[in-house]
Amino acid sequence: MIFDKPDSVELLDAVNHFLNEKIKDEVPPHLAFKLRIVENVLNIVGREIALGEKLSQEVIKDLRELIESDTANVKDLALLIKEEKLDLQNEDLKNLLVKLSKNKITIDNPNYSTFKKLVD
Amino acid sequence: MSQELGNLLSKKLDGESINGEIINLEPLTGGASKEIWKFEVKFKDKSEKYILRRGSGIEGPLAIKTSDEAQIQKTVRKLGALVPEIISVSSLSEPLGDSYIMKFVEGETIARKILRDAEYKNALQNLAFECGESIAKIHQADIAEFSFLPKKTVKEQLSDLYETYTLFNQPSPVFEYTYLWLKKQNFGEIDDALVHGDFRLGNIIVSQDGLQSIIDWELAHVGNPLQDLGWICGNSWRFGNTDKVVGGFGDLEDLLDGYNSVSEYQVDAKTVKAWQVFGTFRWGVICLIQASAHLNGTINSVEKAAIGRRVSETEIDIVDLLFLGGR
Repeated sequence: MIFDKPDSVELLDAVNHFLNEKIKDEVPPHLAFKLRIVENVLNIVGREIALGEKLSQEVIKDLRELIESDTANVKDLALLIKEEKLDLQNEDLKNLLVKLSKNKITIDNPNYSTFKKLVD
Repeated sequence: MSQELGNLLSKKLDGESINGEIINLEPLTGGASKEIWKFEVKFKDKSEKYILRRGSGIEGPLAIKTSDEAQIQKTVRKLGALVPEIISVSSLSEPLGDSYIMKFVEGETIARKILRDAEYKNALQNLAFECGESIAKIHQADIAEFSFLPKKTVKEQLSDLYETYTLFNQPSPVFEYTYLWLKKQNFGEIDDALVHGDFRLGNIIVSQDGLQSIIDWELAHVGNPLQDLGWICGNSWRFGNTDKVVGGFGDLEDLLDGYNSVSEYQVDAKTVKAWQVFGTFRWGVICLIQASAHLNGTINSVEKAAIGRRVSETEIDIVDLLFLGGR
């Protein structure tokens, strides 16, 4: 990257801090709810920048092993399931779907109750 | 905005012989697609509280007209169901737009408050049973009264959901798997009852004395009523209280006891599980629909944008239910 500091994650941190420390108590109740959504969105973006590539590659690696392809992606897996070209009872397939779901929620909402229950 | 709205309300209520001054008009946090306003009408010696519920004109493909919601509430109220009393209805062409005014019901709708505030602790004990009882009463309604509602069998609903999902061109291996699984399930054989369609915390009013009202009928339709039982058991509507299967507050046994105490059709836990997976898939597709309204430029909304990233919540819930022993 050719860009100066702060990097994108650090910029997002600064915005989040501003919203939390300076804005939160100033907004009327019906906007406080929206402000929380805005903070959540910024957190998703931050996590995706930091971890998105790694978590995607983990899934892609397992996926390509399972369906024995060097180029397949999530869309291809969806199509193979749709056309019932994979054994739906295969444990490796089930494990892959679990991993895909866990890695997605790690970015989207790591505080989600089901995810917390599963990682504990 | 609110001055103009106050004048419109005042005119409309005059027509219903409710003549008073509109005061304390304020917006409430409502659903993603409706405006909700609370206000009071001040008479000579007292005042009364009301709610205005107003469609935005850009309802999702699953939602019915706001004025039709009012019609349902009027009808089921006659059966003794717990719904607020409708005072006045407007159609899209009238100044207030597609909307209705109902009496304000004291209590709380915000799920987190109901689940966490000490004042509701006692009410929560019996709430699952009460929910079962009340929704069963609603399911008894004569559907001849609801010719304006869409009628869908489970099979049709399932293929509609699947088709809607495919429209967004975002193939999900989990949803493909789920669709195949759902096609093999037994959902119970009734398909001609009034279904609320969004029965859960957030859409019910709870006081210290328990369940007061069932509101927000925008997803109502005629179909298999057991959908309402699976929906309230979805983890999306437990608000973090994963251990409490019913809405984050109750046990499935209590919900079914309440339901089966009213309903002729006796429901078991296995059927509810199939509906729970169905409901979770349905919520996933609704998230896609909501997000698409932002993505295709119909409306620029950070709320709708954010909801697109909640699809993954439904995927983790489904793999938990199907593969990991989740309840």
